[in-house]
Amino acid sequence: MTDQLGALTTIFTEFYYWVTVVLMFLIHVGFCMYEVGASRYKHHQHTLMKNTMLIPLVTVTWFLFGWWIYWAFPTGPGLAPSIMNESTALITDESAFSATWYKATSDLMAVNLGDHISGVFWAAFLLFSWTAASIVSGAIIERITTFAFGILAIAIGSVFWTIDAAWGWHFDGWMLKLLGYHDAYASGVIHAIAGGFALGVLMVLGPRIGKFSSSGEPRNIGPRNPWLVTIGLFLIYTGFWGFYAACNIPIFDLGPEYGMEGISYWTATNIYVTPTTLSGITFNFLMSLSGGLLAGYWIAKGDPFWTYSSGLAGIICASAGNDLYHPIQAMIIGMIGVVISYKLHYWVERKFKIDDAVGAVAVHGYAGFIGLVICGFVLNGYPSSGYSVGAMWDGTTYATINPLGQFLGALIMFVVLGLIPGYVIAKVLHGMGKLRIPREVEIAGLDYEMMEDAKRDERAVSSATR
Amino acid sequence: MATVTNWIDHLNKPAEEVAGAIYPGAGSSETLLVILGFIIWIGWHILTAKSESDELERLARKRHSANDHRNNITEW
Repeated sequence: MTDQLGALTTIFTEFYYWVTVVLMFLIHVGFCMYEVGASRYKHHQHTLMKNTMLIPLVTVTWFLFGWWIYWAFPTGPGLAPSIMNESTALITDESAFSATWYKATSDLMAVNLGDHISGVFWAAFLLFSWTAASIVSGAIIERITTFAFGILAIAIGSVFWTIDAAWGWHFDGWMLKLLGYHDAYASGVIHAIAGGFALGVLMVLGPRIGKFSSSGEPRNIGPRNPWLVTIGLFLIYTGFWGFYAACNIPIFDLGPEYGMEGISYWTATNIYVTPTTLSGITFNFLMSLSGGLLAGYWIAKGDPFWTYSSGLAGIICASAGNDLYHPIQAMIIGMIGVVISYKLHYWVERKFKIDDAVGAVAVHGYAGFIGLVICGFVLNGYPSSGYSVGAMWDGTTYATINPLGQFLGALIMFVVLGLIPGYVIAKVLHGMGKLRIPREVEIAGLDYEMMEDAKRDERAVSSATR
Repeated sequence: MATVTNWIDHLNKPAEEVAGAIYPGAGSSETLLVILGFIIWIGWHILTAKSESDELERLARKRHSANDHRNNITEW
């Protein structure tokens, strides 16, 4: 870089994404605390390690192939032409933003003096991947094998969510063009898909021993440590600030990008490269959090576990349109999402005997789904992309945001890329006898041997004289 | 193996040559490194799946009751 202003813009953007990654790390700290707090004492250590080990597993596979999928799949393939090369094939040619630059063997996937953005952008998306896998992790605690969870974490974190991101979160995604899909802060592309995936796994995995009485009545198990759970959720809120910032492009000149001659317009944009402001989404983040907390406290009668989770569900529900909503709209949408998700959680639990240990399917899956549908009505008629406005790319137009497109998009996220793959992979693992821990181990506790060893050491040390 | 051996010489090159990869083995080692990455990843699953199965099998044979773990709660 030889131009000082260009260098400043580039290095500001590099640092911006780097900060979002550090903030988003707190989401994972929060998820770990939350899960340990929700699990019973005799399962604590395995529960913690299960969630922790998704970090390296998703990271390595995200490097090896996950990031490539995101850049290769925006066209479907075969569903809509790319605005970069006008082909419906996988984007693997030499065009701008082609997946070929993001193969694991590419020299851009390393220290490269010609590229200050790929690594931090890769990492921002990777942290979204951890979040997707971690959402699934909470729902299935105390009875899944670490091996099975590792496979499922890679499937959701490095394959299925990245396909949905290519389809519905990439500026060139076919869902924007054909459905007018809009999901600025990932109601669907992270939360609905992860919730749907978790539900698919739970359908095969079954409930924890003792969750349902012989007559089928559900029993409440935990949380064992409500304070750890609530601190964990506070940390997830904190990390969510980074998540929101990471979904934006901090500084970008939209004039030339949209093909508008002689016009220069510097702004922050959302992931679709349409204008928004960090300031505006801050209003909406806090108001949707507040809406969720208010509704959660009311409907759960002050239960801390559900009230905190509802704050999160409020944000998740409003996230699809939080780049454009009025703050009061964001608050009301958050409240609606919480009430419906809470009711659905208990209805599904009773009706289908689904044991979602932390309410992840409700908080992420149902709230995300509902948020997408509501967004279709509230933002009906807005452009799903700026590229159709300036006609920069010949032969390609984008549908506007609309209720039907959002509903179909929600189904694609929750069912097609979430529930079905989760169910099928869990079935395969179950068929191999690798999905669920033995009944005797679940009763004794996954940590039994570790605890026994620790007690033996304690006795030996306490009776030692030198 | 070193891609850069003198920073002054390197930065004096034409801009398009400066703007490039600077890790050891740039341009020649990437495929081998990625193959190693795959082997380590898959190998980890194989190793840990076996040890987890052994551990679960061993513990399942002991048939502890739901509250036996309480005898093992440490006080330190």
